[in-house]
Amino acid sequence: MALETATLAGLAHDIPVTTRSDMRVPARVYADDVLWEQISRDRSLDQLINVTTLPGVTRCAYGMPDVHEGYGFPVGGVAATRAADGVISPGGVGYDINCGVRLLVSDLDVPAVQPRLHQLVHELSRSIPSGTGRGTRLSLSEPELDRVLADGCRYLLEREHATLDDLEVTEANGSLTRADPAAVSARAKSRGRDQLGTLGSGNHFLEVQVLDEVLDPAAARIYGLAAGRVTVLVHTGSRGLGHQVCTDYVRLMDQVMPRYGIVLPDRELASAPFASPEGQRYFAAMCAAANFAWCNRQQITYVVRDVFRRFFGDAGRLRLLYDVAHNMAKLEEHDGELVCVHRKGATRSFGPAHPETPARYRAAGQPVFIPGSMGTASYVLAGTDAALGLSFGSSCHGAGRAMSRHTAKRTKPGHEVRRELEAQGIVVACPSSGELAEEAPFAYKDVDRVVDVVHRAGLARKVARLRPIGVVKG
Amino acid sequence: MRASFELLDHTAEVKLRIRAPSFAELATEAGRAVARLELGRAAPAAEGAYRDVVVRSPDREALLVDWLNELIWLAETERWVATEFEVHAATDTMLQARVRGVTVDEAPARIKAATFHGLKVAPAADGLEAEVILDV
Repeated sequence: MALETATLAGLAHDIPVTTRSDMRVPARVYADDVLWEQISRDRSLDQLINVTTLPGVTRCAYGMPDVHEGYGFPVGGVAATRAADGVISPGGVGYDINCGVRLLVSDLDVPAVQPRLHQLVHELSRSIPSGTGRGTRLSLSEPELDRVLADGCRYLLEREHATLDDLEVTEANGSLTRADPAAVSARAKSRGRDQLGTLGSGNHFLEVQVLDEVLDPAAARIYGLAAGRVTVLVHTGSRGLGHQVCTDYVRLMDQVMPRYGIVLPDRELASAPFASPEGQRYFAAMCAAANFAWCNRQQITYVVRDVFRRFFGDAGRLRLLYDVAHNMAKLEEHDGELVCVHRKGATRSFGPAHPETPARYRAAGQPVFIPGSMGTASYVLAGTDAALGLSFGSSCHGAGRAMSRHTAKRTKPGHEVRRELEAQGIVVACPSSGELAEEAPFAYKDVDRVVDVVHRAGLARKVARLRPIGVVKG
Repeated sequence: MRASFELLDHTAEVKLRIRAPSFAELATEAGRAVARLELGRAAPAAEGAYRDVVVRSPDREALLVDWLNELIWLAETERWVATEFEVHAATDTMLQARVRGVTVDEAPARIKAATFHGLKVAPAADGLEAEVILDV
């Protein structure tokens, strides 16, 4: 399929295939002039060009509007490789396999929550640990962990920690059938065994929000969203288990690449043919780690629901709107062929016509979430059919970092960030002032601008804006 | 050259630069850097028995990554952060060390992994200089 440029009005920055001699396809970044200038400051573009050298890469490598420097792929990078003769790259998924976001929606309004907001946020923080050692994580026996890895959220449905309704509105119903627990090392399992139901650190968080503006009333109705309602956004992934799966397979791919004659400009892009034994084994392990991540977000949901029920009774019921992955490799059909779409720091954005869009959302498109940073808005969007041609059906996953953690800490200490958030009426539960400073709003791109580019480029359509009132950080 | 480490700017992750007179001292200093990041403060005195750690890798760069990933794995699975290092043997493909450390209440979760991106171990004046990016 030819690149579609007719309606993009300055938002598509194309990097021709002739830019570097080892490129196999062109690259494109969706950005306005301000974001493009920010993106050009770090190594995002070099990294995106490196992605275009992967054997079997097809059509184009895409940078989302939040793209920034990572390792291997840039964060916010999307590329597809042919399943028949292309490669799969663990570095194209990243260490936090199926890091993702889910949104829970309540019928509560702010006046009902505000008087107990401090206690609510601190109870959520107490009940949902960042790591192991305290809180209400789910400790698993070896057979139980294997069930999580093999069956994903279907296992939590059996334990009554999930509902059928939850599974229907989780990407892939929270379970990838190609998962094989035997492909996950004992080391990875030992990292994950007592981490189910934990947030992790870094940019992972749980936010209590209020829906402060409906931007597309028709789509909002279909999603059951109304202005003034309180929501909860959960952002986390596969924790140490996923990190170790990536570590194990980057190491393996690094060692087998010469056997397949693969030469790449970055060792972190280490790859093997998708159809090879190593490629298939990684894919099975990655799917298992993805199932673990969905169970992690589902277990957190189970605890959040319990806390809301204790605080607000039946009125505190929380409905899952949707759950999207943003570090994943998926087998999908694009341009008439089966491809392995690597999305690293990018989410699916499937439109109304796509068969994987849940039936109840068919009239609007799949819900897409773009969280901002602490203190700034997050957005609910709807996937578009046009995104298939623009980005293999992908959108961005957040505001995207604009400043290093080191610089952020030097710019403003954590206690000042905390005071500023509290001055905006946001209750913060974060034990580490250092990590709070690293994740300060000024360290990120302007989420309103990022979302505006997504909307104008047609990658997804704005539906509603959410404003934080409480933040729990790992 | 005196062994040292510093944190360099990287938009999303932690980029470490380590300098040392030898590869054994480089590995020790890289271990200290990971301890500092995992604990979020200067490491307290090590306690308890020594553990033996042996890592084998195809080359010296991979050896550095594998060594750090071993320390990260130990910290997360055993709530135990290595803070004191005695590297007994270091070749281009094998590193053998005795380590001691401290037990922590909460498993450190700050570092996901040491990566191969931009990885280098190169000769420098009076020793070696390495750069490695940690996913955080």
